[in-house]
Amino acid sequence: MIRHHPDNNMLLEYAAGSLPWALSLAVSAHLQLCPQCRQQRENLDRIGGALLCDSAPQSVDTAAFDQLMGRIEHEDQQEASSGEAAPAKPRPVYSSDPVLADLPKVIRKLVTSTGPLKWRRVSSALRTSRLNTGQDRYEVAFQRICRGGKVAEHDHRGREVTVVLYGSFSDSEGVYRRGDFLLREPGDVHRPIATQDQECLCLSVVEAPVKVTGLLGWLINPFLSFRPA
Amino acid sequence: MEIPQTRDDDWSQLLVRVGKNEDRAAFERLFRHFAPLIKGFHYSRNTQAFCAEAADELVQEVMIRVWRKAPTFDPSRASANTWVYTIMRNCRIDMLRRNNRRQDSDSSDVDVDDIWDDTADTQPLLFLQRSRGEQEIAEGLASLPPEQSHVLEKAYMEGKSHSEISAELGLPLGTVKSRVRLALKKLQARLSK
Repeated sequence: MIRHHPDNNMLLEYAAGSLPWALSLAVSAHLQLCPQCRQQRENLDRIGGALLCDSAPQSVDTAAFDQLMGRIEHEDQQEASSGEAAPAKPRPVYSSDPVLADLPKVIRKLVTSTGPLKWRRVSSALRTSRLNTGQDRYEVAFQRICRGGKVAEHDHRGREVTVVLYGSFSDSEGVYRRGDFLLREPGDVHRPIATQDQECLCLSVVEAPVKVTGLLGWLINPFLSFRPA
Repeated sequence: MEIPQTRDDDWSQLLVRVGKNEDRAAFERLFRHFAPLIKGFHYSRNTQAFCAEAADELVQEVMIRVWRKAPTFDPSRASANTWVYTIMRNCRIDMLRRNNRRQDSDSSDVDVDDIWDDTADTQPLLFLQRSRGEQEIAEGLASLPPEQSHVLEKAYMEGKSHSEISAELGLPLGTVKSRVRLALKKLQARLSK
């Protein structure tokens, strides 16, 4: 049972197309796991449909339709002459890792696109691997907490969204399971602990820090400022 | 103007014909109907995002995708309006991304249809309510207080985030958020009546 969801404001920005790319990616991963929010998404899309239907029509050049059909025919011919472009099979880069075996479709594609994951050890409990999303406003990464692992208490300098993809973890406020979507604002302090029975994998999307320096910013991410325990 | 109910139904049937038979006459009727609406959606207000040329380009991009994707249109899952809206939204995201993309940025294979993907859903039990939902939402939008419908229009039609709307209207972010939430609550109440 998923208990933590993006709020209606964020879902609406997603449905309207104004939510930043990386945050939309996290919302999308959640939606693929959460039927309740999918239904809400449908309602929000319908608002878009209703607004489109009620728009004041603006005249379109009479030649536009013929232009369009010309373009379509041209594309069809090109495709026919270039033969059947066999779509490249996605590389199965992570099949041996059970934690990565059952990811939402969009995350699977993201992993495939990123190539072999490079796990970096942050502490004895936590490993992280950066994911390539083709944008640099947000840092997108997997965070992997070992079974029963305790992550050092930390706060967040930028907004951070976390989606649990495998296993579960808890902090002083509750337990978070597969599909749960968490938004932390700057200044929130927490200390995540993975449950004893299995590892925990999360997708993390963090607002890029006001560049400390490119490399250092990444090195100290995802835990931007450690507090002495 | 036609009566909304029959109109809605007609467009869905035309889309099905395009999808099944590549019916050009059906597609032309869809184009004559939707192209001016797509343009009006983006261009009738003073949006900076789309000048007339960009709006015309968007119309072409959207309608080409409507033609290509028509075989995936399922009238039991969405109305033609909503389906075209989602295609249009994805096109717009693509266009804005293409314009903003930095030269040196690493590319990714994840594209807009992966993130704004609704093909995976199958929820047959909800289908029955769907066409009613369209109608209810349209009526609900018309009865919202102006300050609430205004923020929805800015969000959808101008593609502005809550914080952009807040800056533009000189309202606290919390006010914009609560207007959006109140509007959704009212629309939702109609749906569950």
